[in-house]
Amino acid sequence: MGVETTEDARLAALAQLDMLDTAPEERFDRVVRLAQQLFGVPTVFVSLVDRDRLFYKAKVGLEQDEAERDTSFCRFTIEQPDTFVVEDATADPRFVENPWVVDDPHLRFYAGHPLVAPGGHRVGTFCLMDVQPREFGPQDAVLLRDLASWVEQELVVDDELQRAAQVQAGLLPRTVPDVPGYGIAGACLPARGVGGDFFDWALTDGRLAFTLADVMGKGGGAAIIAATVRAVLRAASRRGSVSDAVATAEESLALDLSGTSMFATAFHAHLDPGTGRVDYVDAGHGLAVVVHADGTTTRLEPGGAPLGFAAALDPDAPPPVRDAAHVLLAPGDLLVTFSDGVLDVLDGTLASVDEVARRLGGASSARDAVDRVLGLARGTSDRPDDLTVVAVHREP
Amino acid sequence: MEIETDLRPDAAVLRPAGRLTMVTASELRARVDETVAAGHRVVVLDLADTTFMDSSGLGALVGGLRATREVGGDLRIARPGAQIRTVLQLTTMDRVLKPYDTVEDALRAS
Repeated sequence: MGVETTEDARLAALAQLDMLDTAPEERFDRVVRLAQQLFGVPTVFVSLVDRDRLFYKAKVGLEQDEAERDTSFCRFTIEQPDTFVVEDATADPRFVENPWVVDDPHLRFYAGHPLVAPGGHRVGTFCLMDVQPREFGPQDAVLLRDLASWVEQELVVDDELQRAAQVQAGLLPRTVPDVPGYGIAGACLPARGVGGDFFDWALTDGRLAFTLADVMGKGGGAAIIAATVRAVLRAASRRGSVSDAVATAEESLALDLSGTSMFATAFHAHLDPGTGRVDYVDAGHGLAVVVHADGTTTRLEPGGAPLGFAAALDPDAPPPVRDAAHVLLAPGDLLVTFSDGVLDVLDGTLASVDEVARRLGGASSARDAVDRVLGLARGTSDRPDDLTVVAVHREP
Repeated sequence: MEIETDLRPDAAVLRPAGRLTMVTASELRARVDETVAAGHRVVVLDLADTTFMDSSGLGALVGGLRATREVGGDLRIARPGAQIRTVLQLTTMDRVLKPYDTVEDALRAS
């Protein structure tokens, strides 16, 4: 028995994925399309790096199904753990004479992130390429890493339900961002089985993006669509306004949902902590209130149909134009958004929204507000739906 | 789910009874599809006995609306209860699925 080299172990890990020379799959294709749209590059691909070749599991802007490993840029990417970037190949001695650069397609820009299999082996890459030189900043790197880790999740699971459970478990944020002057809290109590509710938040350039969404239905399908909505909103929020982010989400959902009559409701917002201004898009969600420091409450009006609704009704319809609304959080104000599972533990009508707002009066913090909403469900042992809530409190 | 069907000269009236949820939504969808396939382009859903509707139920309404529109028809809803009206309002679906107070109003609408 010979000594197993690192490369042999890596190839064994790759073989275990059982994905070399398999057909394209929508779950990878959608990430690739999304990256193409978000970065505005012509070429994006997921490669699996075999002993002497790259196999493209998903690609846009590339004709061939595989490429030589020796001359590939990805050869460098899988040899180290970080994003490998070549902003201009003609200015990099390692690549000036590379056939990808010298010949068609005359590549100038490359950014690739290694894809890691469960045992820690780098088995592939998630890459962007352009025929123009480009700058690649820290924000871009974060976004590329996010998308690459989404691909990694998809690589390791092939069973639909297993995927659903894993995907849903990975949906909720594990930490609370530190926004000076504000308290932030959220919770999701899933009902039986895998549901379609989730919340998310992320801090970018001092601005807090937060989301609460509910994908129609339950089970694997709902959870996978939920993962898509979350990833798209998260990624798109790094670059543009709330309306842009929601429009991008809707566009990629249309591809997934057209003809299935499935859709998602969402409340997606950006908080500017300095001014307390919250810009938001409400896509058929309708369940958000601001409890002011003086005890009065404002219900944020629903702004438009759920995501994917237009496509469910007519796959050829253009995506709807969504205008963002805004509300100002003064010191002491509290914004709370929650899922319709909360209504269902009350009487299910709009009067329940007032009831929730009433119970939030005098809440001392975001955490307290979340606990008060969850407290509504106490004693109802057989909730039919997920119960999800997010609260943002501007300290007095 | 029990779905009573009442065929009128110019429309089919379907009366789903009970809870319209993930469990029953596909039954209603299938019934609307059958009704359309049988040549009825206008379908009125009488929701007087539908006690609860969740997002999957709403999906069935949207799917039914699409099926009828594809053949140049329409799907209309009549007599929804307060909970169903709330779901329609929150999702702004009441803009495309206007709730009618009576089945006759829904039949007369165009």
